[in-house]
Amino acid sequence: MELPEKAATEKKTMGIDPYERNWMRLSILLLVVFAATITIGGLAMGFEVPGAEQEVDPRTVLDSPPWSEPGVREVAPGVFEAYVVAQAWAFVPREITLPVGAEVTINLTSPDLQHGFRVDETNLNMMVIPGQVSTLSYTFDELGEFPYICHEYCGRGHEAMFGVVNVVSAQEYEALTATDDAATSEEAAG
Amino acid sequence: MAITEEPLALTSGEAATVERPLGALTRPKGGNGWRDWLSTVDHKKIGIMYGVAAMFFFVVGGIEALLIRLQLAAPDGQILSAEVYNQVFTMHGVTMVFLFIMPLAAAFANYLIPLQIGARDVAFPRLNALSFWIWISGAVFLNTSWIVGGGGADCGWFCYSPNSGLAFSPSHGVDFYVIGLQIAGVASLISAANLIVTVLNMRAPGMTLFRMPVLTWMLLVTQFLLLFALPVITVALFLLMFDRLFDAQFFNPETGGDPLLWQHLFWIFGHPEVYIIILPSFGIISEIIPTFSRKPIFGYSFMVFSGIAIGFMGWGVWAHHMFVSGIGPFSVAAFSLSTMFIAVPTGVKILNWLATMWGGKLRFTTAMLFAVGTVAMFTIGGLSGVTHSLAPADSQQTDTYYIVAHFHYVIFGGGVLGLMGGLYFWWPKIFGHCLNEFWGKVHFWVILVGFNLTFGPMHVVGLQGMSRRIDTYAAGYGFEFWNLVATIGSFIIALGVLIFFFNVWKSRRDAADLPAPGPDPWDARSLEWMLPSPTPEHNFDTIPVVESEDEWWHRKYGYDENKRVVRIATIEEAAQDGSATGVHLPAPSFWPLVLALGLPLIGYGLIFNLWLAVVGGALTGLAIYSWALEPVDDPDADHGHGHDDHHDDDDDGGDDHAADDSEPVTAGAEGGE
Repeated sequence: MELPEKAATEKKTMGIDPYERNWMRLSILLLVVFAATITIGGLAMGFEVPGAEQEVDPRTVLDSPPWSEPGVREVAPGVFEAYVVAQAWAFVPREITLPVGAEVTINLTSPDLQHGFRVDETNLNMMVIPGQVSTLSYTFDELGEFPYICHEYCGRGHEAMFGVVNVVSAQEYEALTATDDAATSEEAAG
Repeated sequence: MAITEEPLALTSGEAATVERPLGALTRPKGGNGWRDWLSTVDHKKIGIMYGVAAMFFFVVGGIEALLIRLQLAAPDGQILSAEVYNQVFTMHGVTMVFLFIMPLAAAFANYLIPLQIGARDVAFPRLNALSFWIWISGAVFLNTSWIVGGGGADCGWFCYSPNSGLAFSPSHGVDFYVIGLQIAGVASLISAANLIVTVLNMRAPGMTLFRMPVLTWMLLVTQFLLLFALPVITVALFLLMFDRLFDAQFFNPETGGDPLLWQHLFWIFGHPEVYIIILPSFGIISEIIPTFSRKPIFGYSFMVFSGIAIGFMGWGVWAHHMFVSGIGPFSVAAFSLSTMFIAVPTGVKILNWLATMWGGKLRFTTAMLFAVGTVAMFTIGGLSGVTHSLAPADSQQTDTYYIVAHFHYVIFGGGVLGLMGGLYFWWPKIFGHCLNEFWGKVHFWVILVGFNLTFGPMHVVGLQGMSRRIDTYAAGYGFEFWNLVATIGSFIIALGVLIFFFNVWKSRRDAADLPAPGPDPWDARSLEWMLPSPTPEHNFDTIPVVESEDEWWHRKYGYDENKRVVRIATIEEAAQDGSATGVHLPAPSFWPLVLALGLPLIGYGLIFNLWLAVVGGALTGLAIYSWALEPVDDPDADHGHGHDDHHDDDDDGGDDHAADDSEPVTAGAEGGE
C-alpha cells in the first residue's frame, strides 16, 4: 500500500508560499492599526467609562446622606449631581428634571441586587452593584425626554424598572424649581 | 440518528459469560445490542452517543427558544409569566451551551481525533466512556429541576450574584444549575485530559504535529481551553453552592462578600467558552472547504498558529463583558485592545478559507454550503463583535438585543452551522450511507433564511434600545414589527430542524437502494477516508505511515513531470478494506456508567437530604474501587492476550501485528486510568 511516488510529492511541513507570507505581514499591520485606534480613542478622544468611585455598605447606605435623599441637586450654576437608588424593582427617583446644557454627574447604588442603568440615546450605561457606587458624567445638550431603564437582569420585576430624564429649557426649569421651592416653603409654613 | 447494525465480529467471539471474581457485574462483551452501548469504550460509539444526546437537547433548548419568541412576538406577551419566562431563557442558554454545542463538538472530537491521527482508540477508553456518562447524568440532573426543583434556574446562564443568592432565587432551580454544571464540568475535564494525551501520544508513525489535519489541531486547542477554563467556573460554582446550601457569604455584599468576584470568575471561564464552542466548527469547515475546493488549505501553518493564538488570547479579553461594571478606564482600555487583537487571528482564518476557495474547483454539496454559510454568518457576528471592543460603542449596546444578535451570529452562525456541515460531511463515514443531498440543501436554505430572519432584526431592536431578558415590552417603542419577524424566523429554523430529522429518517430508509458511498465519497484529504464506511470497530487494519500533510490525498494523487496533478491510485487501491481480524480492542466495562450514576444522587442529596448524598457517594466509591480492581484487559476475551496491545502507536513498521505482545508503552497508558 505504500506508494513510492509519494516521497517526491511530499510538501515541506512549514513551507510557506509568498502569498501566505504577505498575508501574515498584512495581519501584523492590522494589529498595529488596531492598537493605534484604541490608543487614540482612549487618550485623544477622551471616552469615559463608569468607575467604582466608592464602596458603601448596602445594608446602611440608604440611612445617611446623600443616599437618604435621592434626587438631583445643583452644586454650582449649570453643574448638577444626581443620586439615584436602583432597588428591586424601581428607580428612586423615577424622574429627573434638568435644564438643557446641564452637566450632571450621576451616582447610583443598590441596596439589594445588581441592576443596570442605561439612558436612551446617550452613552450613559452603568451596571449598579450593591456595595459600590457607580458614577458617570454627561452633558445634556438637547431638549427632550430620555428614558432610563434597568438593563441588567435582576429577576422578576426587571422589565418594570424604568424612569425618565426630562431635559427642559432654562426658563421652564426655573419655573419648575420656583414652584417646587414655593411648595416646600408653603409646607414649611403650614 | 441511526445505529449501525452490522455484527462486529472482532471482539465478541464466543459469547462465553464468565463471572469475574472481583466484580459485582459480569464483564460485558462487545457487540451491538443495547447493553453494549451502555458498556462500550469504543470512541466511535461514544461519539455517536454524544451526538444523539446533543441533538435531543438541541430540541429541548429549541422548544425553550420558541417559547421565548412566542412570548415576545407581540407587545405585552401573556404566554409565560415573568417567573417562567426567566426560567425558560436561563435554561435555553444553559441547554444550548452546555448540553448541545459542547457535546456535539465532543461527538466530533471523540469520533474523529483517533481516526485523523491514525489511532485505534483514545488513550484512556474507559475514561472516555466515563466522561460521556458523567456528562449525560449532569445534563439529565440539570433538567430534572423542572420536575423536582420547582422550576428551572432563573438567574440567567451567567447567574450574576447577588441575584443568584438564596434571598433572590429561593427555588431550587439555581441549586440544580450549580450542581448540574459542576457534574457536567467533570465530564469535560476528563474528556479534555483524555483527548490531549491521545493527540500528543498516539499519533501514527510520521504524523508529526504539523501534519495533523486542521480539525484535530482546533480540537486540541479546544481541549486545552476546556482543561484550563472549567476549573475556573467550577471554583465559582463551588463557592456559589456553599453560599446557597451551607450559608457561606462569598458573593453576598451585605456581609462583605464581593458580587464582582463572580462576574470575573464567570467571564474568565465564559470567554474561553466562546472559543470552546467556535473552534471545533472552525476545524470542521477547514476540512470541508479544501475537500470541495480541491485545493490544500491556504496557509496551513498560519491557520494552526492563529488557532493557537486564539487559544491564548481568549484568556485576555474576559472583562469586555464588564465594560459598564465599574472596572475603571484603564482596565476598559486594556480589554478593548485585547479584544481588537483577538479579531485578527479570527479574521485571518476567514480570509484563509476564502483564499482556499479562490481558484478552486468548487463543488457545492450540502456540507460545503453549510461551511460557506458558516464563514459568511460568522463574519457578520465577528464584525458586530469588533464593535463591542470599542467601549463607547459598547456603552450603547451592553445588555441590549444587539448583543443577543451578535452572539447568535457567532454561536449559531459560526458554531452550529459548521457542526451541521460536519454532520453531512462525516455522516457516510459514521453510518455507511450519505444524507440525502436534495433534502440537505433544503435544510440548509431553510435554516439560513430562518436564522437571518430571527437574529438579523435583533440588531435593529437592540440599537433602538430594547433590553435583553425582559419578559415583555410595551407597545409604541417601535419594537413590534421586528420582534414579530424574529418570531416568524425562529419557527422557520424549527422547520429546518424538522427537515433535518426527516432527512436522517429518509436517508436511512433509502440507503439500501443506493450504492454504498465507499470509503471516500467526497474525494477527501485526511486519514479517516482511507477506512471503509462505516468505520470498522478496530479502525485501521494497519496503522498508516504518514509522510505528508493531507496524507490520504497524496496516496491518491501525485504529480507528473509537468507538476500537474495526476491520479496515482484509485480509492479502492489506496483504502483499507477493514478485513483485519483478531485486532485486540479495549475491553468494555459497566463501571463508568455506575460511577456516573452516583454523581446526580450526590447532587440530589446536597439539595434535599444528605443521606441520599451518602448513598450516591457510596455508589461512586464502589464503582471507583471495582473499576480499579477490574483488569485493564479481559483475560477471557477471545484473543488470549495477557495485556492490552490495541493501540500499536509505537509500531513503526506500518503493518499491524495483532498478535505482537511486545508493547509495554500502551499497557502503561491503560494502566494510568
